[in-house]
This record gives sequence, C-alpha cells and structure tokens, in this order.
Amino acid sequence: MDGKIIVVTSGKGGVGKTTVTASIGAALALQGKRVAVIDMDIGLRNLDVVMGLENRIVFNVVDVIQGRCKLKQAMIKDRRIDNLFLLPASQSDDKNVIKPENMTWLCNKLRKEFDFTFLDCPAGIEQGFKNAIEAADEAVVVCMPEVSSIRDADRVIGLLYSRSITPKLIVNRIIPKMVARGDMLSHKDVVEVLSIDLLGLVEMDEAVVISSNTGTPIVMQKESKAGMAFNRIAMRLDGHPDLPIEDPLAQKSIWKKLGIKMGRKKGAA
Amino acid sequence: MSNQENLPVRLKGVGDSLWVTIDPTLPAEQLKKELARPFERLRHLAVNARVILDPGEAPAGDGLIEELGQFLKDQYQVGQVSPPAREKPTPDVHRARSKDAGNGWHYHRSEALILSGRVRSGQKIQAKKHLIIMGDLNPGAEAIAGGDIIVLGSLLGTAIAGQPDNEDAIIMALDFRPTQVQIGGLVAAGTPASGGNSPEFARIDNNAIVVMDYIKANPFKRLAWPEVR
Ligand SMILES: Nc1ncnc2c1ncn2[C@@H]1O[C@H](COP(=O)(O)OP(=O)(O)OP(=O)(O)O)[C@@H](O)[C@H]1O
Ligand SMILES: [Mg+2]
Repeated sequence: MDGKIIVVTSGKGGVGKTTVTASIGAALALQGKRVAVIDMDIGLRNLDVVMGLENRIVFNVVDVIQGRCKLKQAMIKDRRIDNLFLLPASQSDDKNVIKPENMTWLCNKLRKEFDFTFLDCPAGIEQGFKNAIEAADEAVVVCMPEVSSIRDADRVIGLLYSRSITPKLIVNRIIPKMVARGDMLSHKDVVEVLSIDLLGLVEMDEAVVISSNTGTPIVMQKESKAGMAFNRIAMRLDGHPDLPIEDPLAQKSIWKKLGIKMGRKKGAA
Repeated sequence: MSNQENLPVRLKGVGDSLWVTIDPTLPAEQLKKELARPFERLRHLAVNARVILDPGEAPAGDGLIEELGQFLKDQYQVGQVSPPAREKPTPDVHRARSKDAGNGWHYHRSEALILSGRVRSGQKIQAKKHLIIMGDLNPGAEAIAGGDIIVLGSLLGTAIAGQPDNEDAIIMALDFRPTQVQIGGLVAAGTPASGGNSPEFARIDNNAIVVMDYIKANPFKRLAWPEVR
C-alpha cells in the first residue's frame, strides 16, 4: 500500500486543527478507508481526548521514534469505528525530541499500513510544525474567518509552498448570521486573500463542542451541520474532488425559494 | 557632392514636400541665385510643391523667408512656402528630443525587479531600485524598494519605497489598500476606508505622504518625452 500523509495545520492556535483531524479521520474510516491520526502536538496532547481514547494510552509517538515500542503497540484502535487508529502525542516530552528525519522514517512506515494518515500539527511555525510538514504529501490549512487567523494561515501557506506542498483550505467556525450582518468575514474574503483551493466550509456548531467533550465523533451525528460538512470534506479527499461546496449563507435562501415554489410559504396561493 | 554640408542651399525631399535648408547669413539676392540652380533642374516637379524654407539654427533676417518664398512662387510656380513648423526648441526639450531620437533607453540596463505571483504574509521582497509585482501583496507581507513600487493587483501589506532617501519615489497599486506605506523617511498608516475601484498612488507632497487617484492625477503627464526613471 502507498497511502497519503496529510498534515492539518493553521499557524494560529485554537482554530480547529484537532477537531478537523479527528472528524475527517473518522469520516474516511467510516467510508471504509484505513486511517491513522497522529497527534504531533508534543507536550500539549489532546487529539486523544477529543476522540475519547485518553484512558487507553500506553505508548506514544516519541516512544515509537525512540524505539521503546513497535508502531503497532502504540497505535490505539478507535472504540466505535473500525479502521481508525490513533498514535497519541507524548505529554511529558518537549517538541525538540523529534527530529525531521525521524518523521520521514515514521511516515514511510505509516504509508505502508494506512490509506490516509493525518498529522495534527501544533500551533505556530517552530520545530513542531517543521516536524509535522517534513514528510507530508499534502496539507490541509484550517482557517477561521478572522483577520489574524487569515494572516497566520497565509504565512503557513507560504512555508508549505516553499516545501513544494500545495495546501487546500478549510474555513471553520463560520457563523452565517454574523456574515449576513457584515460582522464576520465571509469565506469569499478568506479565499480571496489566501487564493488556494477550497476543500470545505464548516459552520460553528454547538454539537462540535459537545462531541469533543464526550469523545464521540461528530461525523456520526446526521443532524449536525458541521458533522455533515466534515463528511463531505472526507469525500472530496477520497475520489470525489468535485463534490460541490455548499455555501452556509446560501442555504437559507435556497430553502426559502423552494418553499415558495412548493407553495408552503405562508400567504402563497 | 562631398562638401554638401557647406553649400548655402541644400534641398531634399521630405514626405510630400521639399525641405530647403538655406544659409540666412547670405544676402537675399545670392540666395535666389543659389535657389535657382536646383529649382531649374526640378522644373515641372516643383510646380505646386510644398516647400519648407529652413534657416537652421541661425536667425533669419526679417522678411527673408517671405521674400524667397515669393521668388519661388513667381519663378517656379511652387505651392505653399513656409518655415519649419516646429518652434525653437528650448535646451531642455532639445536634450530630451535628442535622447528620444537616439532611443537612449535602448541601451539602458533595466533596474526594475519584476515579479509575478502572490506575496504572502511573512514574506519580504527587496529590490535595489524599482519593484513591480504582477499579483497581490497580502497583509503581513513586505515590499521594499530603492525606487518605486508598482503593484498590478491588490496592495494589502506594507510597501516601503525610495529607500533610504528618495523622496520622489511613488507607490502605486491597481487596488490600493496597504497596511502601511513608507516613502523615503516618511511613514503613513493605511486607511482601511480607502481603496476605490481605480488605481491609486502615494507620493510625498509638502513633506507628507498623500494618496491620489492615479488616472486623475496622472503624475507624469507633464514629461514631454518618455524618460528613464
Ligand atoms: N465548527 C466548530 N463549531 C464549534 N466549535 C468548534 C468548531 N471547530 C472547533 N471548535 C472548538 O474550538 C476549540 C478549538 O478547537 P481545536 O482544539 O480543534 O483547535 P486546534 O486548532 O487544534 O487548537 P490548538 O492550536 O490549541 O491545537 C475547541 O473547543 C473546539 O471544540
Ligand atoms: Mg490541537
């Protein structure tokens, strides 16, 4: 097998890298792919918590790299989803214990075992970021519709290009009401500045916070808009690159129009 | 034909007219004799011809051109006779014109750095002299130039022109919405409100940076000939 290594990064912290990694990983595994998610946020691990697997950790990525255990021993199988595996970060080590060449070695091993490997990158552009992008084939940049997030994403995109990686963009935590009022940038503003291919748009959704806290995958909740957006992103990554991107702003007006056509709108004949 | 330069009267065809250079320091009668020689030869070719009498750099005496013109009309039935249309060039214009005629910029080695593409946050571009970016300069990106900065796209980041002390430098963008601009030693913060649909530029005026509509202000319109910037 010759799987893909995809790094999920953003520059700025707290924009949703870990959420995106866990969700797309789960969605692809549910679509039948063998998926690994790797927490590269050494010292500040939380992908395990979001996935509800923290109580099963014995070994971590640093143990694998330093030869204290086999890769298979450290990979934790998800409770609900077959084919989904987590390689957790070390909580006690420093980012600098991993060197870029270690990542090349690790990713070559992962490529053989998994269709998709997602690397949950730490915030910033220092050693942890450099490690995470070292052996990546592709990159997903997560950005919020907010000036400082765009600025940092732009920086990261430049650094990725300089490593010959062409990134794709996810705009996360969109609040359509605020965009409509003009109080939040629209995804179009974000795309205009960053000018890279759009992979998906994810709304701000309370269900994300709840599912992170309970360690349940958001993509299994059919009524969650964010969950469904992540499912569609996973499809775009896996053989359906042209699946149309739904504009969270447009949705309302489309429904309104349909309502009028079908005569469901109050007052319509 | 070897010493044509020194002849008191020289004649050549220019477009559809005859350009006759005369030495205005000679008396009118002698000039008429000198004119007769080539015009005798031309004969019917001169009939109705447009003739330009060019006294060259030397000042022609009062009425000289008119007198010779009347002589040519009477003797050889030429058409219109006039002095050269151009005014006496001022020394400055004259220099520019000789540059123009010589295509001076032909041999000028370009000192402009021309780049295409998007300049992203954290990237810094430096040019010894002029900098032209065919693309956008994103917020957080920096462009620094010894001369002008021209952005054929959106200028959203920081542009620093005329470094270290060229106060004639300008910063121009099709979509002018910079975070900050500097020219020479002056600094101006970008105004988020600006950025119309037309190209704008910044330059130093009265020891302050001002931003103007490029098309309306047309800052180089008074230059009579293109010159190397
Ligand atoms: N679409 C969304 N709707 C609502 N909340 C979200 C959404 N995406 C992320 N969040 C919340 O935002 C917070 C930050 O998300 P997350 O931890 O995924 O970001 P991160 O980029 O990994 O942060 P860090 O840089 O600290 O690693 C979390 O509380 C998460 O639940
Ligand atoms: Mg994270």
